[in-house]
Amino acid sequence: MTDELDFEGLVNLHYVSLYRFALSLTRKESDACDLTQQTFYVWANKGHQLRDVSKVKSWLFTTLHREFLETQRRKTRFPHYELEEVTHELPNVEPELVNRLDSSAVLSLLAQVDPIFQAPVALFYLEEYPYKEIAEILTIPMGTVKSRIARGIAQLQAILAKTAETTRGLRKPTA
Amino acid sequence: MNHDEAKKALLLHRPGRAEERDEQIAQALEQAKRDPELRRWFEQTSRFHEALAEKLQQIPVPADLKEAILAQRRIVRPIWWQQPVWLAAAAVIVILLSLSAFWFQQPRIRDHFSDYRVRMVRVASRKYRMDLATNNLNAVQQFMARRGAPADFVLARGLEQLHLTGGVVSNWRGNPVSMVCFDRGDKQMVFLFVVARTAIKDAPPQSAEVAKINKLLTSGWSDGDKTYLLAGPEDSAVLRRGQ
Repeated sequence: MTDELDFEGLVNLHYVSLYRFALSLTRKESDACDLTQQTFYVWANKGHQLRDVSKVKSWLFTTLHREFLETQRRKTRFPHYELEEVTHELPNVEPELVNRLDSSAVLSLLAQVDPIFQAPVALFYLEEYPYKEIAEILTIPMGTVKSRIARGIAQLQAILAKTAETTRGLRKPTA
Repeated sequence: MNHDEAKKALLLHRPGRAEERDEQIAQALEQAKRDPELRRWFEQTSRFHEALAEKLQQIPVPADLKEAILAQRRIVRPIWWQQPVWLAAAAVIVILLSLSAFWFQQPRIRDHFSDYRVRMVRVASRKYRMDLATNNLNAVQQFMARRGAPADFVLARGLEQLHLTGGVVSNWRGNPVSMVCFDRGDKQMVFLFVVARTAIKDAPPQSAEVAKINKLLTSGWSDGDKTYLLAGPEDSAVLRRGQ
């Protein structure tokens, strides 16, 4: 498999999106670079085990996420949230609020979201993967993917609304 | 389907995706046509999704990342293994000519000793899992040998007086690195990293090169076919002594 696929071509195709996903998880450029490099290193050594060529992209994202978790060595079990709990938490957020931010500010917002929701939300926005593929990449059930994305978006909107409110408060002229 | 159920279905709906065929989403979309408040909310949410996706797609990527990945691959599986010798020689000449012509325009590949030193200090500073926890140096060396990491290394002077706690196999640009951990006895650790000398472009000479990286003092030197890096708290006598 490794021989069939041109390594440089593969890097050209996927390194940008993998780096962005890595940065959404680590928030540090150097860590994101390390993770991206490590992912291709693992591919160079184990990629030949993959039989289905169409799964290369998912394989790379899965590997990057696994390597990230490995570095985190998380021990806590992640709670499962039901989608039903989410709707009442959704504030009304003007999309223009997002437009006023740059990409690093959006990343900072994402960093404030509960870590368990960050990877699903990043994949939802960065790659617009179908839920089934996100579930495969993160190796969790599709229902869990949906609930985590929904909770993540709710948190993101709440943080954004709060930030906007604070900014407005700071800008209020003093009497 | 009530208002909240429709909201729940539409929250994760991305227009133009296969999810539109989902019966619940189809119902929720129908409901949004009849419910102006729901429609407004859905339009706003869709615009929010679009704006956020666009911002994340704008994240800049470091200029030298691709080169670094490709360089790493060259270490893992050198191209000349698969090519006739004359072709490899020609390729090397072309590369050298290109490098000499465009040297200053090329993004720097992080394969220098200073990069290695920073990376290993980061490894030591982060949480790591001990691959082998033991106070037996022979056991550590045998373990490293089994994992393809440098095993026949020589301990720096003074290290034998510290309490060995185990070893970790780390990685530097595709090269296994033996990381040997010592406890000073005051809850402070000292780390010895050993890698093949050829793994580092400008490996330090035989005399120790001392530098402070973040909160750790480091001492690096080469001996035979290996490059050593010792890292620990600033007041570590073993680091001052060098190799």
